[in-house]
Amino acid sequence: MKILQHKISSGFVALVALLVCYISFTRQPVEAYLFPRLISFFFLGLALWTFVKALLGRSKAGNGLSMDMFKNMAPGVAISAIYIFWAAKGLGFYTATTIAFFLLVTSYDPASHSEPKTWVKRAIITAGFVAIMYALFAKILVVYTPRGLFI
Amino acid sequence: MKKIIAALAISLMGMSGAAQAEYPERPVLLMIPYGAGGATDFQARIATIPAGNEDMLGMPVAIINKPGAGGRVGWNWFANEADNDGYTMGGYNVPHFIAQSIKGGVDYSTDSFEPIANWGSDPAVFVVGKDSAFNSMADVVAFAKANPGKLTFSGAGLFVGHHIAALQIEKAAGVKMLYIPNKSGGAGAMKAVVSGEVLGGVNNLSDAFRAQAAGTIKILGVADLERNAFLPDVPTMMEQGLDVDDTSVNFRGVMVPKGTPQAVIDKLAATVPAMFAHKRVAQKMKAGGSPMKIMNRDEVLAMWAKRQVTLEALLKGL
Amino acid sequence: MDFIFYFGEVFTLTSMLLLIGGTIGGLIMGATPGLSPTMTVALLIPFTFNMTPVHGLILLGAAYTSTVAGGAVSAILLKIPGAPANIATTLDGHTMAKKGEGAKALQLSFISSLIGGLFGVFLLIFLTPELAKLANEFKTPHVFWLAIIGVTVIGSLEAGSVVKGLLSGCIGMWLATIGFDDIQGVKRFVFHPALGGGVNIIPALIGLFAIPQVITMFSKGRFQTDMEQIQVKKHPIAAAFREVFSRKRALAIGTGIGSIIGLIPGVGGQIAGLLAYDQAKKFSPEKAKFGTGHSEGVIAAESANNAMVGPSLVPLLILSIPGSPTAAVLLGGLVIHGIFPGPNLFIEYPEVIWPFINSMLIGQILMCIFGIYIASLAARVAQVPQSVMAAVVLGLALFGSYAVQQSMGDVYVMAVLGTMMYFLERFGFSAAPLVLGLILGPIAESNFVSGSLMASAQDGTFAFFFTGGLNILLVSIVVLSIGLSLWSEITAKETER
Repeated sequence: MKILQHKISSGFVALVALLVCYISFTRQPVEAYLFPRLISFFFLGLALWTFVKALLGRSKAGNGLSMDMFKNMAPGVAISAIYIFWAAKGLGFYTATTIAFFLLVTSYDPASHSEPKTWVKRAIITAGFVAIMYALFAKILVVYTPRGLFI
Repeated sequence: MKKIIAALAISLMGMSGAAQAEYPERPVLLMIPYGAGGATDFQARIATIPAGNEDMLGMPVAIINKPGAGGRVGWNWFANEADNDGYTMGGYNVPHFIAQSIKGGVDYSTDSFEPIANWGSDPAVFVVGKDSAFNSMADVVAFAKANPGKLTFSGAGLFVGHHIAALQIEKAAGVKMLYIPNKSGGAGAMKAVVSGEVLGGVNNLSDAFRAQAAGTIKILGVADLERNAFLPDVPTMMEQGLDVDDTSVNFRGVMVPKGTPQAVIDKLAATVPAMFAHKRVAQKMKAGGSPMKIMNRDEVLAMWAKRQVTLEALLKGL
Repeated sequence: MDFIFYFGEVFTLTSMLLLIGGTIGGLIMGATPGLSPTMTVALLIPFTFNMTPVHGLILLGAAYTSTVAGGAVSAILLKIPGAPANIATTLDGHTMAKKGEGAKALQLSFISSLIGGLFGVFLLIFLTPELAKLANEFKTPHVFWLAIIGVTVIGSLEAGSVVKGLLSGCIGMWLATIGFDDIQGVKRFVFHPALGGGVNIIPALIGLFAIPQVITMFSKGRFQTDMEQIQVKKHPIAAAFREVFSRKRALAIGTGIGSIIGLIPGVGGQIAGLLAYDQAKKFSPEKAKFGTGHSEGVIAAESANNAMVGPSLVPLLILSIPGSPTAAVLLGGLVIHGIFPGPNLFIEYPEVIWPFINSMLIGQILMCIFGIYIASLAARVAQVPQSVMAAVVLGLALFGSYAVQQSMGDVYVMAVLGTMMYFLERFGFSAAPLVLGLILGPIAESNFVSGSLMASAQDGTFAFFFTGGLNILLVSIVVLSIGLSLWSEITAKETER
């Protein structure tokens, strides 16, 4: 299982290296691609070395991934992705942060979901975090964040 | 519950509705396409000091830096992504952005932006290290004639004011020299001159003025129509027999993206030149060795159009 | 010895308030991912408009020194370096924190920052003219070779596989070429509009370090998350001082390398910590302990990145050439008051420049005191449940990467790079060499391109890069470093991690 994962990951890196190499050596003007050519040469060499090692089953560094880890991270990664790639701009930074923060804290909090006290605690933590972010970025640093639908 | 949500929604809408009231009702951004600490950034920070005064914009101006590739990164962002609601202004550098748009590969031209006002004009000067054997442009030209392609001189990048001046000097003297663009901009180009890595360099008058005061360089000529008040003893290129005009003079000012409401442009065009003329700005600029030239919107529009024509002619066949 | 007479200016009420405010503010800003020293100083410049030159510079000096040290806080506690300078601190600092020695790691880091910082400022006070001459010796080819030396250091940052470390470095250097080529102005590898502005270092730094942390916390699931609750051990300050002074080798290497690197215009303090870490490891009899929470690692890295602060001002003050982005901003702070740096600066404006330098001395001491207080709060940070920590880090990553340039493109680059880094990390790649490649790539490229242009007017590229004492010295270090790395890769088996 881990050996297969190593083959896939190093194969992916080797593919990227191949693409970078191809682009560097075919695009114009040559002056602008001089340095990319130099690094992509080493990039491809090292990537192939790693890939061959993985094919021979001799890659050991790193712990690989397990099915359990995927299951555990799925909700968090999904919420984070919607938060960063859509909600932050679509709803506004502070609204999106409030919602995403609360959802994340809720989904990974080991405390029981049936007790009202834990919900209040989560809401207070969320409000506190958003308040600090607002004070630091909007008030002290005057960063104008996208407003989207709300703030 | 529904009622509460409805009430909330209405009050939120009311808040965004108030946005149309009186421009500006929140701080205005000014995007500078060069790094913090560079000449453009530094002058922009001074020029916008009085923005918060009641008779000016009444709101502070916040500066954000988007440096990269001689300004291309910042101006591309300004043309493509900046909001055209008047709350995002951008700094322009002429001839840089016009020359880059003529060269191609960028998403902007003079038609993408609406100028507001100009605060400074910083001529390019030719500098050499303090121990250099060159004492006038004639010495430089003589060396370049004797050693074609061997006279190395630094500047801030390709298709920026320094490069334009370099092209004009080469053309006027009829010599081939070796222009070395520096990635770290004017400061990096100056370092190459001071440490003797290159035989000469084109740099900003404001930076060269300071470096000369520090005793690390000599200034041989100014690429402008007249001598500069900061350097009354340095002759212009014309005086030294080189037909170099003021095309490379670095004009700095502010603009907004195309599509900004006319009312906002009018308001800015009326207040911003007055802001630049504020006595605190003038005093700080003078202390920093930065030559000022305040121009209103119409004057800047005329200057842009003129530069477009001269630069097209100069860059043809490059 | 002139500087002693100007301490009076520092010990006035206003100056002390500014010093304390600047130091505390700087520590907080430094500890927040995304708010780098350069940004902090740039944000403060407008405030100094209304102050006297002395007061303005005292504030800037205090903020500069303390933001550099403050970056260690998040590097140690969260494994998110506050600025590129603190990358090396994560390697042993965070591993110490994971073992419950967070308070100790912070104390060590602030004490060694103090020692390195004081040494650097004393160099500035006593040797400025001599150092300025030395700084002028470093020219285009030398800076190119220095960048290459930095890349070869990668081999020793990796506990797993040297080849994967070098490969990570290559990926970093490639990422750095994305966007506009700085000299030609041509777009390279822009596959998506968000990449138009290139991969910026601070958002990339946040993504590569913070996002894998967040996903790792997620991957432990709802009920396992609190299993790893760390018991933070108390650590007496006297013991921390004893520890720092007993590690004389690491301290000397860190301080020495930091001072030299700070001096070289264009390299900046970003790699001082990493180079010092590498050398401290190579010269240590306990090489194997590095990366497992070894105090020498923290001491070398943090003494180096504060030692660089003083010397980094030498080219600025004497040659009027800012050697780093932060120095460039400080130059603005000086010029705005009509003070032009140059060889006569100390003669013409002693009443401004000495209080400024003195305030950096006092600032170092204040920074250490407040820093040790922060260390005592480390236990509280460790008690934050992982569910909350993951959400906090994610929120900070979003705000921090956006705030740098107010650009959503940077946020997307941060998130995508971070997610890819998580998966790569599971297979033996690591973030530190990747970021190193990202920092050094542009330095190497621009000096290579300018160098070969200049060489064409002289004796050709080979002669330009390979002749002269300094070139030969630097090239031999490169060859030696690569040779050692490859030798250890061939002889040692890839270790299980």
